[in-house]
Amino acid sequence: MSVNYLIKKIMSYFFILLFAVWCLFPIYWLLSTSLKTNLQTNSKPPVFIFKPILDNYKLIIQDFDIWHIFFNSLIIASGTTFFSLFFGVPAAYALAKFKFKGNTDFSFWILTTRMAPPIAMLIPFYVMYNKLGILDTHIGLILAHISLNLSLVVWIMRGFFEDLPKDIEESSYIDGASYFSTFYRISLPISRNGIVAVGILCFLFSWNEFLMALILTDDSAKTVPVGISKFVGFQLIKWAELAASAIFMIMPIFIFLVFFQKQLIKGLTMGAIK
Amino acid sequence: MKSISENLIIKLKIKDIIKKFDETAVLKDVNLEVNEKDFIVILGPSGCGKTTLLRIIAGLENQNSGEVFIENNNVSKVPPQDRNISMVFQNYGLYPHLTVKQNLEYPLKINKIKNRDQIIKKWATKVKIEELLARYPRQLSGGQRQRVALGRSLVRNPKLFLMDEPLSNLDASLRLEMRSEIKHLHEELGTTIIYVTHDQIEAMTLATRIVLMNKGIIEQVGTPKELYSAPKNIFVGSFIGSPPMNFIPGKIKNGTFNSDQIQSFNVSINTEADVILGIRPDDLHIGDNNSYDFKAELYASEFLGEGYLITFNLGNSKLLLKSQKNIEFKTKERIPILIDKNKFLLFDYNSKKRIY
Repeated sequence: MSVNYLIKKIMSYFFILLFAVWCLFPIYWLLSTSLKTNLQTNSKPPVFIFKPILDNYKLIIQDFDIWHIFFNSLIIASGTTFFSLFFGVPAAYALAKFKFKGNTDFSFWILTTRMAPPIAMLIPFYVMYNKLGILDTHIGLILAHISLNLSLVVWIMRGFFEDLPKDIEESSYIDGASYFSTFYRISLPISRNGIVAVGILCFLFSWNEFLMALILTDDSAKTVPVGISKFVGFQLIKWAELAASAIFMIMPIFIFLVFFQKQLIKGLTMGAIK
Repeated sequence: MKSISENLIIKLKIKDIIKKFDETAVLKDVNLEVNEKDFIVILGPSGCGKTTLLRIIAGLENQNSGEVFIENNNVSKVPPQDRNISMVFQNYGLYPHLTVKQNLEYPLKINKIKNRDQIIKKWATKVKIEELLARYPRQLSGGQRQRVALGRSLVRNPKLFLMDEPLSNLDASLRLEMRSEIKHLHEELGTTIIYVTHDQIEAMTLATRIVLMNKGIIEQVGTPKELYSAPKNIFVGSFIGSPPMNFIPGKIKNGTFNSDQIQSFNVSINTEADVILGIRPDDLHIGDNNSYDFKAELYASEFLGEGYLITFNLGNSKLLLKSQKNIEFKTKERIPILIDKNKFLLFDYNSKKRIY
């Protein structure tokens, strides 16, 4: 081990540390803000040493009814994820494996659905939802989120399925399995890393989505991002409550990622099989 | 050579198969009949269409025209699932998320075959993987994976076994071992195997009959011996045999073979034609200064274990000779060489077909 090598090692760790601080500081800031009084949050220069309080959490749980919007978000994000995968994964498989006329055109058309800015679709959505009577319902927002998520699912999974070794599926055909059976018993299980990764992306998107949720829901289907935006008032911003609610909002995602970190990294970087 | 008796069933018949990828024809009117218990090796250089032909037999590829019959049933339009065949792939094609046992069980499960544990045990023992049943494919070595793939192809008792270069990913010693095992299985079970390879030694050792392909056509079908000693044309002569056959261009006139490089000698053929003389390295011998057919410049001598492979310069081309004894000559020396007059072949210069 030369000195050169040591310096290299130290430098690389230094930059990794720097990057970690850069990533984690906002979360630290959020957490510390949620434990401050509203007065402390506005002090200049900011206070770093203070006596943490849980009043903000009490407040958002008791008065603000955070659980209501939390479960709304959970239902909507889960529903969006489930249905996006349910429809998107088989579609991606079909587009990847079966070469039919207009295959590439169709795939590209699916991609273009993502190109329009969501705000351009918002008014048509509102008008339609109003007529259908699904404004401010879970199913309404789930549908809207699926429409934005499906292209993502189809495109990522299509690439994933295209990379699956051909002879594995061909073995299955030769062994007597139908195309559907092969999809269900072979292709799907060996793609699970990709499916988990895409699922997490879907969930994240739906969980964080603000614009559609703001316009298409009112009270009974209101999601967390819309809910906590209420802390941004006309005259003042209640930073402490905002931060406490935001901690609530990132918590499930955090837990999710801790559990599925491995699959997410594998799914997004490695492809199906070494 | 084993003669093929009348009562053997024709297992597979391929009729006028044409296959094009875009505008390029990769199979040009291929016809073939395979009898029961045949071990057919489809041999040829890469890109000759041999794998495509196998995939058409399997139903994984659709032919542009022509028909495929398995046991007299026209399966030209039948999907691979319903052809009741099995196939071993070059990259094994094992299911990575299933254990070895589940891999073997898969075809049985799909086809709703009962007594699965018993069948698996029987075949696992036969291909020597009974110790590995609980493992996943990623925990196996190349040779073990190959055994699993072989086992999986055997469990279902299919009508035809297809193998697509099954040994090409194995190292040399393992390849030798698996080769003899495949041969043994074939003889023990009396299965019908169609085996694709580009390795002519594999073909020679395994096949009951070799189908030699080149550029989308079948050049010759025959026993290894027939292909070796009676090649239909120059391609077959040059492809079969290692080290390869030597070719010397010349002319036949008045019953003698004449060439710039070697002395004329009599041949029992009466046409007058431009020809190419083909002679295997084993059929050339070192002569002495009193009796020789030609002299050639020594280029290199390599020790092979059982003998020596000696390379000469003759005109602009190289000539190979296999000899029991080494010649301790200096390079560039001209060595007298004899041709075994019972062993040479003659090919027509223009048509490349064998005429003698």
